[in-house]
Amino acid sequence: MNLSEVRSRLSNQRGQALWRSMEELCDTPEFRKSLEREFPGGVDGWINSGDQSRRRFLQLMGASLMLAGAGTMSGCSDKPRDEKIVPYVDAPEMLVAGKPMFFATAMPMGGFGRGVLVCSQEGRPIKIEGNPDHPASLGGTDSFMQASILGLYDPDRSQAVTRGGEISTWAAFWETVRPRLESKRQTGGEGVRLLLEPTTSPTVLAQLDELQRQFPRLRRHHWDPIGRENTTAGMVAAYGKSFAAQYDLSAARVVVSLDSDFLFDESASLRYSRQFMDGRRVRRDRQEMNRLYVAEGTLTITGSTADHRLAIRPSEIAILARALAAACGVSGVNTEMPAGREKWINAAAADLAANRGACLVMVGESQPAEVHALGHAINHLLGNLGHTVHFTEPVLGQSDSLDVLVDEMRSGKIDTLLIFGTNPAYTSPADIPFAAELLRMSKMRSADGTFANLTAHLGLYDDETAYLCQWHLHQSHYLESWGDIRAFDGTASILQPLIAPLYGGKSASEVLEVLLGRPERSAYEVLRGYWVSQWKNADFERQWSTALKSGVIAGTALPLQDLGSPKVVASASEKSAGEWEVVFRPDYSVWDGCFSNNPWLQELPRPFTKLTWDNAAMISPATAEKLNVVDGDVVRLMLNKRSINAPVLVTPGVPDGVISVSLGYGRLRAGHIGTVHGDQTIGVGFDAYAIRTAGERWFAGGVQVIKTKRTHRLVMTRSHHAMGTFTNKESLKPDAIATEQTPEWARETANRKLVRVATLEQFKANTNIIKELGGESEKKPLLSLYPGPEHGGWDYSKGYQWGMSIDLTSCIGCNACVVACQAENNIPVVGKEEISRQREMHWIRIDDYFGGSLDDPKIYHQPVPCMHCENAPCEYVCPVGATTHSVEGLNQMTYNRCVGTRYCSNNCPYKVRRFNFLAYADAETTEQRKLQRNPDVTVRTNGVMEKCSYCIQRIQRTRIEAEKMLVENSGAQQAEFNLIERLQTACQQACPTRAIEFGSIIPVGGEKTRVAKLKDEPLDYGLLRELSTRPRTTYLARLTNPNPSIEPAKGGAA
Amino acid sequence: MTATAESPVTISSGQDMTQVIPVLMPGATYASVTDQIGGIVQRPLTWLWIMAFGITFVVVMVLTGAIAYLLLRGVGIWGIDIPVAWGFAITNFVWWIGIGHAGTFISAMLLLMRQNWRTSINRFAEAMTLFAVACAGMFPLMHLGRIKFFYWLAPYPNTMALWPQFRSALVWDVFAVSTYGLVSLIFWYVGLIPDLATMRDRSRNRFTWTIYGMMAMGWRGDSRHWLRYQTAYLLLAGLAAPLVVSVHSIVGMDFSEAQLPGWHSTIFPPYFVAGAIFSGFAMVLTLAIPMRSLFGFKNLITIRHIDNCCKLMLVTELLVAYGYAAEVYTGWYSGSVYESYMTMNRFIGPYAPAYWSLIFCNIVAPQILWSRRVRQNVIIVFILSLVINVGMWLERFMIIITSLQRDFLPSSWGMYYPTFWDWATFIGTLGLFFCMFFLFARLLPAISIAEVRELVHETAGGSVPPSKMEPANVI
Repeated sequence: MNLSEVRSRLSNQRGQALWRSMEELCDTPEFRKSLEREFPGGVDGWINSGDQSRRRFLQLMGASLMLAGAGTMSGCSDKPRDEKIVPYVDAPEMLVAGKPMFFATAMPMGGFGRGVLVCSQEGRPIKIEGNPDHPASLGGTDSFMQASILGLYDPDRSQAVTRGGEISTWAAFWETVRPRLESKRQTGGEGVRLLLEPTTSPTVLAQLDELQRQFPRLRRHHWDPIGRENTTAGMVAAYGKSFAAQYDLSAARVVVSLDSDFLFDESASLRYSRQFMDGRRVRRDRQEMNRLYVAEGTLTITGSTADHRLAIRPSEIAILARALAAACGVSGVNTEMPAGREKWINAAAADLAANRGACLVMVGESQPAEVHALGHAINHLLGNLGHTVHFTEPVLGQSDSLDVLVDEMRSGKIDTLLIFGTNPAYTSPADIPFAAELLRMSKMRSADGTFANLTAHLGLYDDETAYLCQWHLHQSHYLESWGDIRAFDGTASILQPLIAPLYGGKSASEVLEVLLGRPERSAYEVLRGYWVSQWKNADFERQWSTALKSGVIAGTALPLQDLGSPKVVASASEKSAGEWEVVFRPDYSVWDGCFSNNPWLQELPRPFTKLTWDNAAMISPATAEKLNVVDGDVVRLMLNKRSINAPVLVTPGVPDGVISVSLGYGRLRAGHIGTVHGDQTIGVGFDAYAIRTAGERWFAGGVQVIKTKRTHRLVMTRSHHAMGTFTNKESLKPDAIATEQTPEWARETANRKLVRVATLEQFKANTNIIKELGGESEKKPLLSLYPGPEHGGWDYSKGYQWGMSIDLTSCIGCNACVVACQAENNIPVVGKEEISRQREMHWIRIDDYFGGSLDDPKIYHQPVPCMHCENAPCEYVCPVGATTHSVEGLNQMTYNRCVGTRYCSNNCPYKVRRFNFLAYADAETTEQRKLQRNPDVTVRTNGVMEKCSYCIQRIQRTRIEAEKMLVENSGAQQAEFNLIERLQTACQQACPTRAIEFGSIIPVGGEKTRVAKLKDEPLDYGLLRELSTRPRTTYLARLTNPNPSIEPAKGGAA
Repeated sequence: MTATAESPVTISSGQDMTQVIPVLMPGATYASVTDQIGGIVQRPLTWLWIMAFGITFVVVMVLTGAIAYLLLRGVGIWGIDIPVAWGFAITNFVWWIGIGHAGTFISAMLLLMRQNWRTSINRFAEAMTLFAVACAGMFPLMHLGRIKFFYWLAPYPNTMALWPQFRSALVWDVFAVSTYGLVSLIFWYVGLIPDLATMRDRSRNRFTWTIYGMMAMGWRGDSRHWLRYQTAYLLLAGLAAPLVVSVHSIVGMDFSEAQLPGWHSTIFPPYFVAGAIFSGFAMVLTLAIPMRSLFGFKNLITIRHIDNCCKLMLVTELLVAYGYAAEVYTGWYSGSVYESYMTMNRFIGPYAPAYWSLIFCNIVAPQILWSRRVRQNVIIVFILSLVINVGMWLERFMIIITSLQRDFLPSSWGMYYPTFWDWATFIGTLGLFFCMFFLFARLLPAISIAEVRELVHETAGGSVPPSKMEPANVI
């Protein structure tokens, strides 16, 4: 084509010339020809060729349509863009698309690490599991570990460095802080203070030490609202020096807990839970149990598992401890025996004495140093040291406390304050005016009008403390950063990032490195640098990769110390506690408030109360009567002229005269989820820190309780008063718990037998007792009009037959399984308003039943997932066949087929089905949170029923592997058995006490499985067996081990 | 209201009431009947009608809004939850479907039983049936979580190669209700044909002439027409009669199929049918009593009709009472903790006021019908019919809500609180029902002209005592 020709043709034309292409303009013969051929070559060929068959026509048609599609996809551009795309041929090593990979790391909490395995799908971490090799996890998790994955994707995490609320940069901060530090080099860092969370990280501690060497007058302080001050003080009182105590509950036959919630709030709680419950599992061939005595000032999950629980005012526990020590023979304590407690104390003391070297007294952080010292004295006297109690050097780094810092802030000695991670503006004691001092410091200007001081906060959220600082630096999540941390016993783990920081945050160690003057070093280099210095002679790379793979660094546990005899501290004088005592506790869902913005945790029904989205002042029924209040009435708690308003929640089991509140609510800057807006329909509680003082951090007497006229709507996932003995109408009280005392006739006609309970003695005397509690229907085979396998009905004797066994004795009601299920199965959060309409979506729930008297209730936890009934009532009522049975005995829910008649839920006697009444999954889920979703599980739409699937995606993955293996080697029966036995549901995997077992209930590879063995146990029973649903999920009855001297053998457990 | 027509008739013992009150007041001729009934349709609109229609039309708009919002958000706008996954929608469905029963019962069952008094009430009772079924039919669709896939409940060939799940009573329900709706419509329409021809012939303008003419399908009143018409009508009656029993039996099975205490009961099918006819007659009276007075139909719908309806209500009420008693007895006799608890929960649980109200409305209040004086007092009967309508609605509410509310595991117990949208939908269908009824009353002869003329012939203008009458539809 000749361009000059084109130009000339254009210039010769008159009027407005329209042309489609230069070829047209040229009017070349090729162009004319192409116009004549209206159809592209292929069709011409078809028309002209003899083969005008239908087949050929369809071929051409298909090809044309495909081309048309391709044309559309390329955006109708005339030619492909010259930009190279590269297929995923160089995938990272080991990565198979669609197959999850696991990485070991550790989750820091309270400064201690707990080992986790993080499931990563195509580079996205989506699920947390416990690391079985880690001493603080043993494979179990708690709800915080499970929920921390959602924290990673929290859209409210701060996403930029800010200065005075304006977005700034890391570089700007470095340019501010570095010259300031340099200028202080002469004075040795005078006026510079660091405020940190307690930490055990070897690298961070080494960096801090180095910083201290560079700036000898720099001081560091720590603040943790939960902390371990009393424990440490008790250790100092007893042994003159701080040591860390660790307990071995697997060696303990008798445990006495003095206000210690050791199944929940210790850094080794998961380990303790496992060890403790391993000592309580009664099977056909092992008929012994440990025994737990608990004296506590509020209601805890530890107390709910006790054989003998004493709910007393927390201030009385010191008196009780003294009497117990005296009864055990500890010399030098006064022996006044508190009235009414003799039986408990004498029985516990006798039990302890009878189990020398195999017993244990544990004292909670909430008790003063004196009680801790008494605990040490008893343990020492009974020869438990070296058996159930071990000591090491302290694991936590040492630093000064917060009150010293605030004193210095007030006196103006400080001009540079760097806060790492902690949020003292919210959590500091009410009598330490940290927030006010911080604000004053931040705002103070020097004579030339510039800011006199430098305050900066490194944190995950732009929280209350960040708001009061000049600078806020966004921290990286533990799943985004390199680091290291020690467990309770000193065992170190490497934290490895699962994903690049989503918002470009930095870890504490990276910020410290800049302060040290080495801004170019990454956290990775710092970390490796530290461990290179530690493993001087070893093959570093090999040891490094071993440490990353296993999640623990071998041989880093601190050596055990042999301590002499402890000092017994002279009793402090008692101060009168007054009429009411208030108890502060870390919350079962938000801990100290650091998990406030986690919707999974906020919606998690709290143990016992099943409260969601709020905290409440828990009081006993007797206290409620005395105060003349009912659930939701707001009371004003006045303590030392400070006051808070709290809605009450009547909870049997809380000691009389005690108002128990949990920390971590009423936050003003937590994010969209956790911030209080004063709207009852959203909730999130009241701030109990406002009346908590440094001196009385865990309980305080002399609180005034004033009933106000206001009420607050508390939302629980159970209906009011349904769960236990306290119904408003006596004749409507459901009788759910079956014990030996349940008369024979009532087992059929008056008792629901949902929780079957026996004592160890009763069980030993009659191993059939649990079946007998089932009444008449248990004695005869259940009749059915439907044919069995011999007449063409379902045959459940082939292949794999899935089933579950849940041990009610081992369940501590910690909720880990509930969050694990939520994380695994993409279960949506619905919010307070929807919870108030009873539309929670959890696939597994923990039913807490109260038995016994209102004032001294027994508490039974019962996890309820889908029962996968063999005769499932939900299946035959579905008009479209959306819920059906598999040959492996699974009750399956086909979401795509569901039209939402909800009849299946109506007919489910266990009410485990959950319905998407509104668009829960998509409507308000932010894009970041969607990243957490498990790609193997469908996200359910509006109007669809859903329920527990026994983690079908995990079953399928294992089945496929097993089938592949058997195809390759048909004789691999043993390997098949091992593979199937390794299959775990999410709830089972999370459970710290291994209360849940899952697997095939018929032999695999000719061998009997774990779950099959459990189903053969005499403790096994099916929920609502008399309905002939033939549930695949069955329970092992709750056994207790009461001391005959307190509870005579004839008396029942309830 | 003339005193003579309304005052209770004193009948001495041994005297047959039918001798005293005829089903057709004397003095009627073919022309008078045709003028009276057809004239209603042709007379100009009254302010009363426009206002009544306008109000109900506004309520229909409320229904439209409620449905639009439902489609937008999903069934979560209602108060349903887990455990109470069915609420107002199913309550209303069963209630409306029950009301629909009286029409077919009157026109088909009574026709087959040769009860001539049915002729003057069957037309509007059938219309009532149709409108009630239309209201009822909306609810099972609306209550679906995914309304767009409602057709999956129908067996149709599809690429998924899936059938409905035939063990589920909800599938039977689809067949039962749609068959019932269809047969009722055909039966009603066939019955209308001679009257439509009458209306065509009375038309004063071309428009109505065309419309009625097309609908009359070329009816000329030929004796062959009449012969075939009578045959078809009787056959259709034979087809419709079993439906009276089947529909509500299947609706009863919707519940009794479940194993839920309070639903799992063999008494449900007969108890539901009796309840349906009970509520249907209550609604017939609710409509008939104002209508005969407003449209001046007192000579056609006489006290005799009202008296007969009341007697039928009394009979069905006793059957329903037996159903209640059987439920309570079963609760005790089963020896099952769940059944007995459910019964106690109805007596004294959180919804006890609803239970005792329904006992009052459905069992205690209708006992006054034993008295003839009451049966012949239209005011009392009208009020009673409203009370029974409320009572029957409460019965369905009680069956659904209190059974679901507290079932097996106390951990899952809950409550049901209707929301604004629950009420809007319910009241909206009431509006739709009456709106359609007002339209019907002005567009079609509310009483069958042809059949009443037949009655005029048979009773010789009402002068022959009805007992001497020959049955009307004898082939």
